[in-house]
Amino acid sequence: MGIFSRLRSIQTNMVLAFVILILITILIMSITSYYLTKEAVKSKAQAYTTELVKQVNNNIKSYVNGMKSMSDLVVGNHAVQQYLSTTHFNSLLEEKKAKEAVADMLGSMLVSRTDISSVNVIGYGGQFVSGRKDLELNPYIDLTSLNWYKHAKEAGGDSVISPSHVQPVFKDRYPWVVSLSRELISRDGQTKLGVFLVDLNFSVMNDMVKEIRLGQRGYLFIVDSSGKIVYHPQQQLIYSNLKSEMIDKVLEIKNGTFTSDEGSNSRMYTVRDSDFGWKIVGVSYVNELVDNQNEVRLSFIILGLIVIILAFIISIFLSRRVNRPIKRLQDHMKEVEKGNFDIHVEVPTTIEIGRLARAFNMMVGKIKELMSQVVQDQEQKRKSEINALQAQINPHFLYNTLDSIVWMAENDKSREVVLMTSALAKLFRASISKGEELVSIRTEIEHITNYLMIQKMRYKNKLDYEIEIHDSVRNYLTIKVILQPIVENAIYHGIKMKQGPGLITISAEETDTDIYLIVEDNGKGMDEEKLRTLLLPSPDAEEGRGVGVRNVHERLQLYFGAQYGLSYKSVPGEGTTVHIRMPKALHSRTEEEQ
Amino acid sequence: MMPWKTQRSIGAIAFLLVAIVGLVYWFTGLSEKKPLDVTVIIKSTDASIEFWQVLVDGIHEASQEFDTNVEVWGSKAETDVDEQIALVEKAILNRPDAIVLAANDYDRLVPIAEEVKKSGIKLIIVDSGINSEVAQSIVATDNVKAGQEAGQAMQQQLEGLSRVAIISYVKNAASHIDREKGIREVLAGNPNIELLDTFYVEGSEQNAYLMAKQILSDDSEKLGIIGLNEPTTVGAGKAIRELDLKDKVKLIGFDSSFNEIKLLDEGIIKATVIQRPFQMGYLSIKIAVDAVRGNKIPERVDTGSLLITKQNMYEEENQKLLFPFVGN
Repeated sequence: MGIFSRLRSIQTNMVLAFVILILITILIMSITSYYLTKEAVKSKAQAYTTELVKQVNNNIKSYVNGMKSMSDLVVGNHAVQQYLSTTHFNSLLEEKKAKEAVADMLGSMLVSRTDISSVNVIGYGGQFVSGRKDLELNPYIDLTSLNWYKHAKEAGGDSVISPSHVQPVFKDRYPWVVSLSRELISRDGQTKLGVFLVDLNFSVMNDMVKEIRLGQRGYLFIVDSSGKIVYHPQQQLIYSNLKSEMIDKVLEIKNGTFTSDEGSNSRMYTVRDSDFGWKIVGVSYVNELVDNQNEVRLSFIILGLIVIILAFIISIFLSRRVNRPIKRLQDHMKEVEKGNFDIHVEVPTTIEIGRLARAFNMMVGKIKELMSQVVQDQEQKRKSEINALQAQINPHFLYNTLDSIVWMAENDKSREVVLMTSALAKLFRASISKGEELVSIRTEIEHITNYLMIQKMRYKNKLDYEIEIHDSVRNYLTIKVILQPIVENAIYHGIKMKQGPGLITISAEETDTDIYLIVEDNGKGMDEEKLRTLLLPSPDAEEGRGVGVRNVHERLQLYFGAQYGLSYKSVPGEGTTVHIRMPKALHSRTEEEQ
Repeated sequence: MMPWKTQRSIGAIAFLLVAIVGLVYWFTGLSEKKPLDVTVIIKSTDASIEFWQVLVDGIHEASQEFDTNVEVWGSKAETDVDEQIALVEKAILNRPDAIVLAANDYDRLVPIAEEVKKSGIKLIIVDSGINSEVAQSIVATDNVKAGQEAGQAMQQQLEGLSRVAIISYVKNAASHIDREKGIREVLAGNPNIELLDTFYVEGSEQNAYLMAKQILSDDSEKLGIIGLNEPTTVGAGKAIRELDLKDKVKLIGFDSSFNEIKLLDEGIIKATVIQRPFQMGYLSIKIAVDAVRGNKIPERVDTGSLLITKQNMYEEENQKLLFPFVGN
């Protein structure tokens, strides 16, 4: 059975239907739950990132606020005001004292603060005081050209926070810092005195942000209100255009979340605005959020496979349950096809198949009945045919014999008439008496003897006959009235036409299975053509010649089979021999009676 | 009962579905299976050379982003070609997916590079090339162009008839050969400039310092000096500072370091041509990963160069390239 024809079986169909159903169910369920899981994880990650960004923001804010409060202290500080506003000191010592007062004040701010890189006051009159006395000014730098200085001047008394930058103010030092600068104004608000600068060690902020990873690749970055990057862990890549951030969109929102649309590389931005103009942004890769994505997928696939295998097993089991009685019916049907009607199918419990089985049983029974009826009918038909054949023979013979008797009576041969009539009577008794189909060969011989006797009387010296049949064959059965038409034929067509006397010899031969009765005459004989057509059934049968002979042949064949019947041998002018072949199997039980 | 055709197509669809699910899983599973192994062999592990440290930073950044296991090796000195060859041999034995190499010698690393290719390992050249085409890709500054920039900067500094000396660190490094070529291309066309023979200092800042001192003591009038890398520039700068010739002698350098920044600040170095080592490192890993994954990769990546002067050194975009990000 090929794969395609296999696909047509009920079982395969059921299995397929199950598998498809389950596959679709699993697919839908997996996809739905996968997306639900993803959404859940995403919102969880979003909450987590928001919290983290908030914390970082708070930390940075506390640093910045610390710097701001420092600036507040310095702005209102008497020593600073004094030192910067005094345009002319009476002595160098006085100036030095005033400067030292400021330096001390600034220095005290630095005590125990490692996160502050430096605290400085720059006077518009050229004064410079640092809280760190160990540092020397960089002689090659023009302070007024630096951004923090310019921005503080522009802000007019408000604090300005710079992005991270290199601070080149001190000799041999180029630290990365975040600067807070603020213009110093006299208490009466009239005179601008200088600029206050506090540098926050950027490493503090860097340490705070750098190690924060959102997932495997996510990170935090900081932008200022103008969109400049204050801190980014991959700043080099940003400047080299190897990476870009969605700064515009970040600037648009104050606090919130959005996702960039970059396919599998989509990033989720979580933005938090600090009070001083910076925005802390958490970036996480969306496809990383579900970091057990593969496990989820794998488990769905494994689950799916298990269920499909289960479905296979169940559907095979189920379909086999349905299929088995059908298959049994099918096998029985095959038996029926072969001709065996003696079967009865067990009726299964399944309603539909049960009905089918019952119907099948009924059908087979009916067929069997019809078959035996057909056999009976055939038998009947055959019998009636034989009867018809015999009915054909009897009048023919009767006519000829009565003709002879009439002829003899006309010639006053009363003795012969008596003899012949009694022979005829015997003949009829033999042939009609029991109305049986089969008689023993003995009876048939008796019958033909009577017949020959009648004929001999009719033809006197023209006809002679010999019957040489061994006793051993006499008890076998034969169809009655088979010799008579042949002998008749031999007389009328062989001997009657011949010059001089004729002889008819009836003998018998036997083989293991068959008996041959042989009728031989030395009559006129027949030519080839006549011999050939003699036994052929012809629709327009000419009366007389051949009709009886053909009847004998057909009866033998009808009764015993096609291989039996008559065979003729003839030599024109010399005579004809007829072999009557019949099976040996039938044996008369009525031997004693006869 | 369904028509026979429908049955067959449903069967086919079911089979396809199973096949697709299987394939998708197989592919995703395969592509995300294991991180690649990349061995990077740089010129020198000398901690005082910032260039390599920044480059390695870029490598680590990329290795995190592209999920690779990176090992960074290097000879102790840039002049140690034999050691570098030995390192490549060792790397081949380890059978990583790719080797990223910054060659110490233009010619002598060719046979071993061919060996790398024969063993089926992808080879990416970073910073400094070799005299062969075996590498899958070269990630480097276009050093000829960088040399041209230095030459042009020098031209701007000089007035009237001048002489220009070039100090080279090592004789046979591709980056140096190319830079010198670029410089000479620009300056040779200038009738006012007399180009002196190149001075080789055999991989030592001290030698560069001594060499510069000698050049300066010979004749410091109308002189330009170009150092082809960081140590030669710093060596020459120190000599100029010592002899207080910063107003007379124009020094143009390459690369950057704390010392170079100081010299720039002081006005001794007039300009320095810097590369983007971070980018170089980052891109070399990115391209190595692409090469292993069978993606199309460019034959050559020019990471570009920048001319840094005292005027633009504190500009935001340049700060990150010039100054070590966190420290002092």
